[in-house]
Amino acid sequence: MNGHCLFAASPPRLFPLRSISSSVSPSGSYRIKFSDNVAVECRNLCFSVSTRQGISVPILRDCSFRIPSGQLWMILGPNGCGKSTLLKILAGVVNPSSGTVFVEKPKNFVFQNPDHQVVMPTVEADVAFGLGKYHDMNQEEVKSRVIKALEAVGMRDYMQRPIQTLSGGQKQRIAIAGALAEACKVLLLDELTTFLDESDQMGVIKAVKDLINAKKGDVTALWVTHRLEELKYADGAVYMENGRVVRHGDAATISDFIKAKQSSYIDQIGS
Amino acid sequence: ATVDGDGKTGNWVNRLPIPGLGAENVFRLISSATGSPIGQFISSPVTFLHSVDPRIKLVWLLTLVVLPARANLVVRLGLVLCTALLSILVLPRQVWIDQLARVSLLSGILFITLGLGSDGAPPMLQSRTPPSSITSLPNLPMSLSGYSYMLLKLGPLQFTRKGLSVGSTAACLTFIIFQSASICLATTTPEQLALALRWFLFPLTYIGVPVSEIILTLLLSLRFINLVFDEVRSVSLGIVSRRVNWQQLTVLETLDIFASFIRRIFKNIFRHAEQISQAMIVRGFRGESSSHKIYFFSGSSNKFADFASVLCLIGVISTALLSEYFLV
Repeated sequence: MNGHCLFAASPPRLFPLRSISSSVSPSGSYRIKFSDNVAVECRNLCFSVSTRQGISVPILRDCSFRIPSGQLWMILGPNGCGKSTLLKILAGVVNPSSGTVFVEKPKNFVFQNPDHQVVMPTVEADVAFGLGKYHDMNQEEVKSRVIKALEAVGMRDYMQRPIQTLSGGQKQRIAIAGALAEACKVLLLDELTTFLDESDQMGVIKAVKDLINAKKGDVTALWVTHRLEELKYADGAVYMENGRVVRHGDAATISDFIKAKQSSYIDQIGS
Repeated sequence: ATVDGDGKTGNWVNRLPIPGLGAENVFRLISSATGSPIGQFISSPVTFLHSVDPRIKLVWLLTLVVLPARANLVVRLGLVLCTALLSILVLPRQVWIDQLARVSLLSGILFITLGLGSDGAPPMLQSRTPPSSITSLPNLPMSLSGYSYMLLKLGPLQFTRKGLSVGSTAACLTFIIFQSASICLATTTPEQLALALRWFLFPLTYIGVPVSEIILTLLLSLRFINLVFDEVRSVSLGIVSRRVNWQQLTVLETLDIFASFIRRIFKNIFRHAEQISQAMIVRGFRGESSSHKIYFFSGSSNKFADFASVLCLIGVISTALLSEYFLV
């Protein structure tokens, strides 16, 4: 469990950032390197888009948080608060307007809709797709990694199944297996349970949790959701509103914070 | 969704009242269509065909396209029978019943229409054999062996030897091509087929043909086609569920809905394509098919099954060739 429980999000006073060496990558995104046990860290992260009229619309405002290695953290918040955008910035799919980002490598991003993530027609070929970039890997090693990844998500018996015959939850597990096969250190998971029923929802989240426990500190997962009941599986959480990180800390405290907000809102409606 | 008395969820789309207008029925038909395309891989039960090398299967497919077009009627019918028997042996019961019924119906329609239609309107004048009324010569004597060009006459329609030849060729060819392709797809994964195709196309790389790109495009297409099916189904379901009062709409307004239906499908498909390309980039693909390795785990090919398959292939080709001499 993270040592610090709850922080008000008012960076840069929020937490001291040690051993930072920031640099700008050729793509323009900022990177920070840390020597301590941190898997993901953002500092003063901002992202905005321009409308056709040239007006700048802020999506993320001054977001800062830190996620220790080997834990499952969740990002929660209402629709449109910038959760998915934040995750895409962490994945490197979108470049931030300003601020600094550190994500341990290798990292992998799993999309909300598994139909977007799974690109090959059969399970085994899809899980192996991400390994295609490693030219020094032989067929046997690839196969071994694919089998291990599928075992980790409980889909070992589905190796030769066509993707279209799988349920939404099974596709989601295949998408996660594809990320695991690359032996990534950080898993960035975008609302994986949105299209799933309760059984598949719990199956997927337990698969991720079991994996993190099995890897003993090697794998960190950042899970975007707006389902409060999933928070019980998390070690920590980040709560966002209007593009800002409002709170971040251990799961129980964030859960209490959200419940207090809900009660306050219900009271407000009732009065 | 509605819930039946026994607690099961029914197909609520089919229970909506039907106004009896074409547009409603078209969308209903599309929305209730199956999401799975015809001829998908069936991983179990594993049959001997699953363990045949996919390259041999491709050669078989090519042979089954060429042979029925050139072979004798008896050989054609033999091939149809063999293909049907193989389907029954290899495919699950529900699958072969469904497939054979559909393909037989299609082939039957082709046989009847082409059989009766090829000589259905005989020309008044034959260039080589003008009628006796023109030449003032006596009619040609009938064949002593009982040969008759016309086999059957049904009122104005006539079934001739030419009709039999054209109809049987088209029907047998259709049956064999569709059914052999179905058997091949049911027992071979798309990756195995791509692997086999890549093996055959590999020599073309020496003349600059982008074989890797062709194979990757084929694989992505095979994956994407299911998304297209799903998208078409979902959008039409969306229109059906809105309960449009088609009877109040003019033809132009109905066409407008169809146009918006097609526009929406294309918009969604392009969005899918964009997201998939983004996912491919995230997963390490950098746009060069030759530098991104695609792994194929072709299942264990059984040597005995391969040998038996090649032997059967040689047997079929030999029979077809010999039939040209013995069954004319």
